[in-house]
Amino acid sequence: MKTFFLGDFGGRIAPQVLAKATEELASTVLADIGDSQRLIPALADAEIVVSHIWKKDFPEAPRLKLLQSPAAGIDLIDLPSLPRGVTICNVVGHEQAIAEYVLMTALVLAHHLFDTATAFRDQSSWLAGGAGGGPTHGELLGKTIGIIGYGKIGREVAKRAVAFDCKVVAANRSPIADKGDASEIYPLGELDRMLPRCDVVVIAAGLGPETRGLIDAHRLALMKPTALLINIGRALIVEEEALYEALRDRRIGAAAIDVWWRYPTPADPNARPSNFPFHELPNALMTPHCSSATDGARDRRLGAIAGNLDRYARGEALINVVAKT
Amino acid sequence: MKALFLGNVAADTAEGIKAALPPGLEVAILADPQDLLRLPAAAAEADILVSNHWRAQYPPAPRLRLVQSVATGVELFDLAALPSGVAICNSFGHETAIAEYIIMVWLALHHRLMEISGEFREQGSWRTSWVESGVPHGEVRGSTLGIVGYGRVGHEVARRAAPFGARILAANRSAREPGPGVERVFPLAELDQMLPLCDTVALCTALGPETEGLIDRRRLALMKPTASLINIARGQVVEEDALYAALRDHTIGGAALDVWWQYPSAAEPLRRGSRHPFHELPNVIVTPHNSGWTQGMVRRRWDEIADNIGRCVRGDTLINLVTTV
Repeated sequence: MKTFFLGDFGGRIAPQVLAKATEELASTVLADIGDSQRLIPALADAEIVVSHIWKKDFPEAPRLKLLQSPAAGIDLIDLPSLPRGVTICNVVGHEQAIAEYVLMTALVLAHHLFDTATAFRDQSSWLAGGAGGGPTHGELLGKTIGIIGYGKIGREVAKRAVAFDCKVVAANRSPIADKGDASEIYPLGELDRMLPRCDVVVIAAGLGPETRGLIDAHRLALMKPTALLINIGRALIVEEEALYEALRDRRIGAAAIDVWWRYPTPADPNARPSNFPFHELPNALMTPHCSSATDGARDRRLGAIAGNLDRYARGEALINVVAKT
Repeated sequence: MKALFLGNVAADTAEGIKAALPPGLEVAILADPQDLLRLPAAAAEADILVSNHWRAQYPPAPRLRLVQSVATGVELFDLAALPSGVAICNSFGHETAIAEYIIMVWLALHHRLMEISGEFREQGSWRTSWVESGVPHGEVRGSTLGIVGYGRVGHEVARRAAPFGARILAANRSAREPGPGVERVFPLAELDQMLPLCDTVALCTALGPETEGLIDRRRLALMKPTASLINIARGQVVEEDALYAALRDHTIGGAALDVWWQYPSAAEPLRRGSRHPFHELPNVIVTPHNSGWTQGMVRRRWDEIADNIGRCVRGDTLINLVTTV
């Protein structure tokens, strides 16, 4: 079973996946997708490729049957350029970790944790304390949380949010049969009716034609001026400049952003994540695409990848199938 | 009848509940308890005292029937200095906000949020990113949370923590049945059995003879070296020197501290909360006793206080009675 771990991501996880797999998998690893000298023979041979990227100009892969992505999103996989008869699988197991991140950042922003803790740490300011009679902070109790994209992550967020006595509403592209913990589901086309109701808006959608640029200046203006925006989906769902300006001018309350418009490269490993200085805004909580990077999620995902390779080797049905060519 | 609102917090309360007070009730507001010119007359005439404290050296208040604390803890009232027959009532409304705080820092400590977002904002470091496959951070799923003091706050914490998939234990002075989400309630005398099981220990007890100095050097040593301590109860439940040493020497993993061993005064408004520099430790989240200080808490508490004053004026049964002197 020729298994080819491709790209910086696929390459990095190869040893851990192979350690978890029980079947014999003859493996090749190539971290640099630009190394065509090695890419051509490896793809010509591979029956399984583990990669989160598939480019239009990749060389031929006539024996390919399974493309296993180590990521949840398959937006970097160019489906039309894959040969016929390939099954594309993704991985999940990150949804619980991301749901934790969403509740954590919603709480941190509502309770003004960073401002309070920083002023107390640096200046010993008790102003935010009850004893000082200072200004109060917010809480989640009774708030309305609106989730855009009601998939696995959205449902995990809803399950936790209702325990805080929050009202959960969601918007989804396709109709939802089982509402789970949400009290109301809007079609994505009626998002504009949902946004003004929400105290917290969570973007948990995949990137696609319907969601690219979805949160633009017009929709940001529909949100409450106190609303919190949490993006753990993809950066391109939000218009970069519009969000920067809305935060800078306090037309929305605050944002927690984990996914970005720019990513580091070998030449610029500390690349700023946006063309706009979000890092100068006091109401932007920023993390480097790590909401899913928990020890537990990594274990679940590596286990799921190894499990699928084993299933393929044994001729069993695959899990997490997202597409077939 | 006359009601005296004494101190800053009580003065704000008076302002907030003005409209809800019984008609005919005379209200005296003394924001500064040091106002010795006005205190004797106000104390002499008051039937109801609303405050967070009463000191032995205060002038006599012979007509008092109700002492309504603006806080839950009543340890700052010198009961011996109050006339006999006075009902001491406290107030709540903070338990949901404090429960939110506990879940917030429980998540932030596991996810290393302060460290990760600080590095990303200030240095543009993607070290912890999923795309960089950095060292993963933790998640609360599958971890064990131990709640010391299974009262109102403890119950609210357990209810919120349960959907995160954590194992929840509790310890309480008096015997309690485990409520929703809680696997087992240990008697406080068996706390030593619970501590080694916990990844997080959240202190939610009142301060009393059984809990003063409860978390001492020996008990800190029973905790896992990776475990975190959350204290929203009272500073004195924990031995100050022992906790500082444990955090400095990493014999426990981290802490979130909202309550302190010393507090600011008019003469020293920026007084540090401890004689040790907890604020210099990277593994500690410090906040100025404001975990419950939310807009919602203030409204809920005002409602309770106004309700109780009305009951006292009408001669109805009081709520939140702590003791009668």
